[in-house]
Amino acid sequence: MNQEMKNLCKWIISTAEKNGAKECKATIYKNRNVDVRYRQQKPEIIKESTTQGLSLEIYIDGKYSSQSNPDLRKKTLGDFISKAIDNTRYLEEDPYRYLPDPQYYEGRSGVDLQILDPSYQNLSAEQRHHMAKDIEDACIEKGGERLISTQAEFSDRITELFIMSNNSFVGESEGTRFGAEVSLTIQDIGDRKSEGLLFVSSRMLDNFPAAEEIAGIVSRDAYQQLGSKKIKTEKLPVIIQNRNVTRLLSGLLSAMNGQNLQQKSSFLLDKKNQVIGNNLLTLIDNPLIARGLGSRSFDSDGFPCKERIMIDEGILRDYYIDWYYSRKLECEPTTGSSSNLIIPPGERSVESIMKDLDRGILITGMIGGNSNSTTGDFSFGIFGQLFDRGKPVQPVAEMNIADNHLQFWNKLTEIGNDPWKYSSWQLPSLVFKDIVVSGA
Amino acid sequence: MITPYLSGCLSSQNKMNKSGYFEAEFGIDEKICRKLLETALLKGGDFADLFFEHTISNVLVLEDGKVNQSYGNIDLGVGIRTVKDDQVGYGFTQVLTEESMLSAARTAASLVNASATPIKEQFSTPEIGDYYPLSTFLNEFPISSKLPVMQGINAKCFELSDFIRKVTVVFQDEMKRIMIVTSDGVKAEDLVPGNFCAASVLAEKDGKIESGGWEYGGHRDFSWYDLKLIEKLSNEAVDRTLIKFEATQPPAGEMPVVLGSGITGVLLHEAIGHGMEADFNRKNISIYSTMIGKKVAEPFVTIIDDGTIPNLSGSINVDDEGTPGEKTVLVENGILTGYLHDKISARYYDVEPTGNGRRQSYQYMPFPRMRNTYMMPGNASPDDVIRQVKNGIYVSDVSNGEVYIGQGDFSFYVSQGFRIENGKLTAPIKDINIMGNGPKMLENITMAANDLSMYHGGAGFCGKENQGVKVSFGLPTCLVKSMTVGGTSQEGGVS
Repeated sequence: MNQEMKNLCKWIISTAEKNGAKECKATIYKNRNVDVRYRQQKPEIIKESTTQGLSLEIYIDGKYSSQSNPDLRKKTLGDFISKAIDNTRYLEEDPYRYLPDPQYYEGRSGVDLQILDPSYQNLSAEQRHHMAKDIEDACIEKGGERLISTQAEFSDRITELFIMSNNSFVGESEGTRFGAEVSLTIQDIGDRKSEGLLFVSSRMLDNFPAAEEIAGIVSRDAYQQLGSKKIKTEKLPVIIQNRNVTRLLSGLLSAMNGQNLQQKSSFLLDKKNQVIGNNLLTLIDNPLIARGLGSRSFDSDGFPCKERIMIDEGILRDYYIDWYYSRKLECEPTTGSSSNLIIPPGERSVESIMKDLDRGILITGMIGGNSNSTTGDFSFGIFGQLFDRGKPVQPVAEMNIADNHLQFWNKLTEIGNDPWKYSSWQLPSLVFKDIVVSGA
Repeated sequence: MITPYLSGCLSSQNKMNKSGYFEAEFGIDEKICRKLLETALLKGGDFADLFFEHTISNVLVLEDGKVNQSYGNIDLGVGIRTVKDDQVGYGFTQVLTEESMLSAARTAASLVNASATPIKEQFSTPEIGDYYPLSTFLNEFPISSKLPVMQGINAKCFELSDFIRKVTVVFQDEMKRIMIVTSDGVKAEDLVPGNFCAASVLAEKDGKIESGGWEYGGHRDFSWYDLKLIEKLSNEAVDRTLIKFEATQPPAGEMPVVLGSGITGVLLHEAIGHGMEADFNRKNISIYSTMIGKKVAEPFVTIIDDGTIPNLSGSINVDDEGTPGEKTVLVENGILTGYLHDKISARYYDVEPTGNGRRQSYQYMPFPRMRNTYMMPGNASPDDVIRQVKNGIYVSDVSNGEVYIGQGDFSFYVSQGFRIENGKLTAPIKDINIMGNGPKMLENITMAANDLSMYHGGAGFCGKENQGVKVSFGLPTCLVKSMTVGGTSQEGGVS
């Protein structure tokens, strides 16, 4: 971030103090985004933008508010800050609302997280078009005779962030992210169409998957679902494919969140250091991975980030507790949200695991559903492939799985060797036994 | 005394007027609009449009008995679009200076490379409805006037049951001003209020904990949030939580499902609404692409997407392309009749736009999106419908709908309902997912009651193309003869 923006941040802090803010924290950000989408071998969408904004947190005698504004001109900001402070005074006092003790800001890692691609500035409009076009071309090639439509969107973003508080916190970061959203639709039986849909992201362009790899995944997903139908309700082993583990794990993570714990709406309340899953389950939060999509050196409170083992061989070891909820819970803060999440991979591929199972379902997609953070009950729509000893039997759709997290994670029997690389949650496929899959 | 709350640069005389705002406050006159449109079409294109927006929003949170958090946001900018056939160039800026806006227009223009397209000589304002009349300007209400509403709900929830342990109340409000100017000569402006009040409660009984909640909102006047609403919202939140202590999960499998009236209309939204958005059909990727004019449901089934219902969350005086809000029939007497169009798809199909071109903000381009989607009522009573079912479930509250457009497979989450045994509602149920297939579900609607009601919430968003727009939905009590119900029990056993 340039010096002008840093000086503006200082001015904002100083203006807020002059207007009566006892404590305050200002965040200024700037993003540049470019999206190029190809369909029918021509650009369908070209979108380019630069956004900026201020987020100002104000603390006055236990009264707290956070206000955002994209207008960074000093002549309008002065009025904005003054009104924001005046209105904060109308709120009710909360003894837990204050900035962290500055000692918590100390100890930031000096590791180079490599979240900024130095080649970003040289990325040309032609290259962006080529990225999207190459993916669409590869999808057309892989789509075969049944192909109806495919589209490929390539996007890139650079984000700059500067944060400053009036109790000595200063932080800045600059990062890049490249992404693709790709879909491929093929003709199924009758009016029905089968779809493959994929999102991939990377910090660096040289880690971005090849067009052929992306096309291979979406076309495989679409073709695997041809002729899918529901089967009878059955208790079976299921393999949840790597990309779909996120939806299930989110339910577990929401119950590890400080706000849910303090509000007692967490089924993991008082479960720290207790068994919550099979001993195969280990979950690591590591914000310091080089090139990680969730990598960061400080969190939203300004605390230095470090690796945390959240679940260790089935035992819950830690929660996500930010500064505010740590005060209410009368405990030490950890960090308020997840960064890069890792479930250490197993030894075998999904194909190899399938061969050793009798009848089971490989879940390749989840749809709708919900997870109740208070009770741990969850239910999701699923589709995928019914298999028997590794051989495909029938694509399935219109089916559901439901369980309670505290029982479900104890049914984990094996972990695949295939962590999904193109997300901040690098999760492998997971195998569970005795799951009721409801259908006809 | 009224204290302006982040009221930005609004001047008092313009607060309630729908027109003239951007010119008065930011100097955006027809001359500059013309210049921007000419720049957007400098290298050709079929048409171009400008979407100006200034939105001021506030969120207040009551937690642990105190309104102790406030979050405010200002959105200001213009999105500029150039369209050639089905291709779109789009740029936006948050800075409403001529230099910055011209730069965004040049970005949009980069889509094509031909000779300039002329724009219409005169701008005219379409006749639009007034589906959210206001007597007060929401942004002007000080926090002090919202506090009693939130504190009243908190107190009432605790008063209603000794089992209540925690109450959280959220009050969100926004005032959104928009102006759309198009190269084909439309200039439309609107002032759109949006708000909701949500109560979440947590209860503890015999060592068990359950949570639940409810919300009311839409395009409402602040006067709507009165004592009666406080009472109603508190009762809903508490009742919907306490009943969960008695609830179980039903046996899993295929069974008849009775959808209660109101919020269950989300099923129509997922099962048919998305599949009828014309962009998916233009690309031939919707399961409904080949079904126009065909029988898709019983003759008593008529399904409508309507932007003109007063104060509902999905209602629009004008869409985000300058087309007035209207009522669009999707299924008439069981026959699929038409799609939901934006300007691009309307040109493709050579029909008039239906007022469904919507977007989250100036940062996004518009796509065909639903408004308030519902099914017309039938003649039966709700009890008659329930009586048809020997063994099935009744759904009273749903959320988290999702659909795969090509397959037509959809899913939604049932947070509350009842088992139906021998034609009567019996044990409460909770936390199950239901899956179905859109066309199959439509075929399987075998009965509809006379009790159509709409969802009167303000927090319902529909996601598409990575952007969210506010919608509502409605349904009369109706019977779907077979759907797949999730659950942990297999034929009544425990897994």
